[in-house]
Amino acid sequence: MAVHSAGPRLYKSVKFKYLVKQSGSAAGSRASNVSLNLTPFVDMMTILVCFLLMVFSSTGQLLQAQRGLDLPVAQARETLQQAPVIIVTKSEITYQGQLVATVESVLRDDSPTFKIDALFERLDAAAKKIKEDVALGRQPKDLIKACDEAKSNIRPVPGKICPDGLAILQADETTDVRLINKIVNTAKAAGFDNLLFAVKNK
Amino acid sequence: MSAAIGAGDKKSANVELNIVPFIDLMSCLTAFLLVTAVWVNIAQINIQPKGKTRDQAQVQQDDEHVTLSVLVQSDRIWVGLSRVNEFQDIPKKAEDQDWEKLESTLKEHKISAFFADRSDVEIAAESTVAAPVKYQDIIHAMDLAVKVGFVDVGLSDPQGLAARPSL
Repeated sequence: MAVHSAGPRLYKSVKFKYLVKQSGSAAGSRASNVSLNLTPFVDMMTILVCFLLMVFSSTGQLLQAQRGLDLPVAQARETLQQAPVIIVTKSEITYQGQLVATVESVLRDDSPTFKIDALFERLDAAAKKIKEDVALGRQPKDLIKACDEAKSNIRPVPGKICPDGLAILQADETTDVRLINKIVNTAKAAGFDNLLFAVKNK
Repeated sequence: MSAAIGAGDKKSANVELNIVPFIDLMSCLTAFLLVTAVWVNIAQINIQPKGKTRDQAQVQQDDEHVTLSVLVQSDRIWVGLSRVNEFQDIPKKAEDQDWEKLESTLKEHKISAFFADRSDVEIAAESTVAAPVKYQDIIHAMDLAVKVGFVDVGLSDPQGLAARPSL
């Protein structure tokens, strides 16, 4: 093995001075100013930022991701709007993030009332509060206007539906329809007669 | 990164452009957008609960109009007209429901004299322990109805349908 004189070197075979010369830096034999080409990096970052800004969407933030919840797929294109959310996963039913009942217990229940009592109590209280807010004008002006138009049977613009009686149902695609029927009946009995079924776009 | 200004002159100057703040800003923006990005597009199907429920003592039936009813069962789909009592049976095709046939049937009804200027339809699903119907199926039926032009979708109990096949 050859014996080299002491001095800076890159690994074992390429001496540091050759690397400096190749990079085309300063003329001095001892200069070691290695310039890093940042242009491709800046190009890539700019394109990535442009892409992310284009796909940025706020509608998905209305809904909470939850374990055991795969939304059904549809071709519908109407955007969601803010409303109380009922979530049905594979195992439980939650309202505004709070557990209301388990799927198993609801499907097992054959009571003649045909509604989910725990959910009804919460929806009933929420419906009364929303109705009061709308009556007192505590909602955004465009939604108050939508409520006035709804009384005249004018079709609302998607995303601007009167909040009075409006709720979102976010259910797993494999949910038994018996459960959906019970939830819809419960919502209707509580005053939510306009439901938005959340779906994934195809 | 540098830029030569006034090249060729005696007093040419090699000006260094400081792009470090730009890269910092870009890095922060990229990280923020990646974290907050929503990759799944979520939409809605607007429905109005209709028909008879067990909580209601009396049901107001509108006998003036013919109502288009769709009943989804585990092995078939029924499409019927109230008052006329005319039903079309769409049996299941292999693994899945025959959605193409349902779409064509709904299209036929939409251009008929009854529904040319109307957009209401009622949909129900009959699910039992032995023959369950999944939520995806009823969403598919609603989606097709909206696609065809029946945008006022009413979800009903199977017992509350205006037109229900007697089996």
